[in-house]
Amino acid sequence: MTDDSPPPTSDSSASSAPMPEGSPDQESSPRDMVDRARIDASCRGPVLFFFLTAAAWLLIGSALALLASIKMHSPEFLSDTEWLTFGRVRPAHLNTVIYGWSSLAGMGVLFWLQARLSRAELRFQKLLYAVGILWNLAIAGGTVVLLTGRYLSIEWLEFPVWTAALLGLGFVAVMVTSLDTFRRRTHHHVYVSQWYLFGAVFWFPILYVLAHAMIHLGGATGVAQATANWWFAHNVLGIWFTPIGLAAAYYFIPKVIGRPIHSYYLSLLGFWTLALFYNWAGTHHLIGGPLPVWLTTVGTVASMMMFIPVITVAINHHMTMIGHFQKLKFSPTLRFIVFGAMSYTVVSFQGSLMSLRIVNETSHFTHYTVAHAHLGMYAFFTMVLFGSIYYIAPRLTGREWASARLIKIHFWSVAVGMIMYFTGLSWGGWRQGEQMNHDTMPFLDIVAELMPYFWSRSVAGILMTVGHIAFAILLWKMWRGEGQKRLRARKLEQQQEGPTLLARPEEDS
Amino acid sequence: MTLVYLLIWGTWIAFGISTIWALHWAARHGHLSDPEGAARSIFDDDEPPGQMTDFFPGDGPDGDPSLMEGSHD
Repeated sequence: MTDDSPPPTSDSSASSAPMPEGSPDQESSPRDMVDRARIDASCRGPVLFFFLTAAAWLLIGSALALLASIKMHSPEFLSDTEWLTFGRVRPAHLNTVIYGWSSLAGMGVLFWLQARLSRAELRFQKLLYAVGILWNLAIAGGTVVLLTGRYLSIEWLEFPVWTAALLGLGFVAVMVTSLDTFRRRTHHHVYVSQWYLFGAVFWFPILYVLAHAMIHLGGATGVAQATANWWFAHNVLGIWFTPIGLAAAYYFIPKVIGRPIHSYYLSLLGFWTLALFYNWAGTHHLIGGPLPVWLTTVGTVASMMMFIPVITVAINHHMTMIGHFQKLKFSPTLRFIVFGAMSYTVVSFQGSLMSLRIVNETSHFTHYTVAHAHLGMYAFFTMVLFGSIYYIAPRLTGREWASARLIKIHFWSVAVGMIMYFTGLSWGGWRQGEQMNHDTMPFLDIVAELMPYFWSRSVAGILMTVGHIAFAILLWKMWRGEGQKRLRARKLEQQQEGPTLLARPEEDS
Repeated sequence: MTLVYLLIWGTWIAFGISTIWALHWAARHGHLSDPEGAARSIFDDDEPPGQMTDFFPGDGPDGDPSLMEGSHD
């Protein structure tokens, strides 16, 4: 980011302008508006930096995903370049989208939500920039290492130990910043989203450091390594991405449609049951493996218990939206977030059922699981991130998005792409599982039968990538300040005779 | 395997205790006693319930005034 970066209205000349109290004839109270604008301004630099770099990783991750997908049906594609062989691009895809796109964008949303809900400004901007830069460099370096093939083949933990150490430091900084914002809250109520954010920032960093220490320092080998691996990998979704995604959904659905959440009591019940059960669920990944039966059974029981938080969230979001579905037509944020929230219900039900041995014996080691993973990380979490960014970024820059058409292209191409991806691979994967359980069926015949589903995944991947390109263009234009100035921003300027919305917080005081 | 058991049981127990502690803290500080107020805490005087706050660019709050009027609650 350069110093002369837009938005060009950033100007300290108006900083001394008095803030008039709202007069009765004004349609809104400027005090709340000014407070929100000041908090948004404190988030602007770091959060935009996290969003922009996240979008870059999304594009890189999509390219790697397409490569891996094409190689499934056309193995000769770029196969003479060793850096681009399947065994390397596949972990590179996973790690760039998890730690690059999802974590960076998720942290941006987390900072903004925590600041807005605490009604306190975000501090430590320089630290956050440093964390962002370090994080990006660590992922870039780690990805190059993955592409050279020198990595430990433990899924979700492939990054070299120095990358993991840098990311671990980053997580700790995120924890400190979030706590700092919360401690300076100027509002009595702790909203349900904040509880979810606490879950993410307090538990996950501890887990991340412990899991890497176990794997990389040799504390866990063999069966123990697989156990530590899946206990960790499931928790990345369970206590890092899921709480951030649900925190965003619990804020944006009521906020966008202008209606309080249907049952606040249920939302709290959902949070505390999730907090108690989710981190037990990971061992269901090892059903049928050579480890004590009680260990996988605990995972299955916890997965069944997850029905409680999932059903509470589903009821709550649905009852809040009822009577307001026509608003999906008008709000980009709502479209993406409602798509994500619905997917959360589906993926969670599916995940709980997949932890049952009777389902698992067919679904395990098939593309059905791959479809399920994408339903969680993409249809739920990534869609919620898109929706959140569509809400947050205009409030950071004071600009509207540059093109409604590009937003619609983004939504429809990723929505159709994701549904196609999920349907094709679930169908094909389940058949694959049934066929693999028949020991008379030759393995190669099973692979050949999967071909049309592999092709459908590549086409779906192209659609989703088109959407990502539209999103990246929009975000780039947003950063360049190419959209129209927001109505609120204009109003604030009129009331304060200057563009205080976009002034730095320290200039305001 | 002992280390992994320790790790897994350790975090299960530690997370469980921290969850219950957080619930206790929330109850002690009155965060569970006013669910109605908490649910409404995300709204402001200038962004009250009943008002939509996100639109496609160009639609804007001025685009369709019917969306701005009347609370559904």
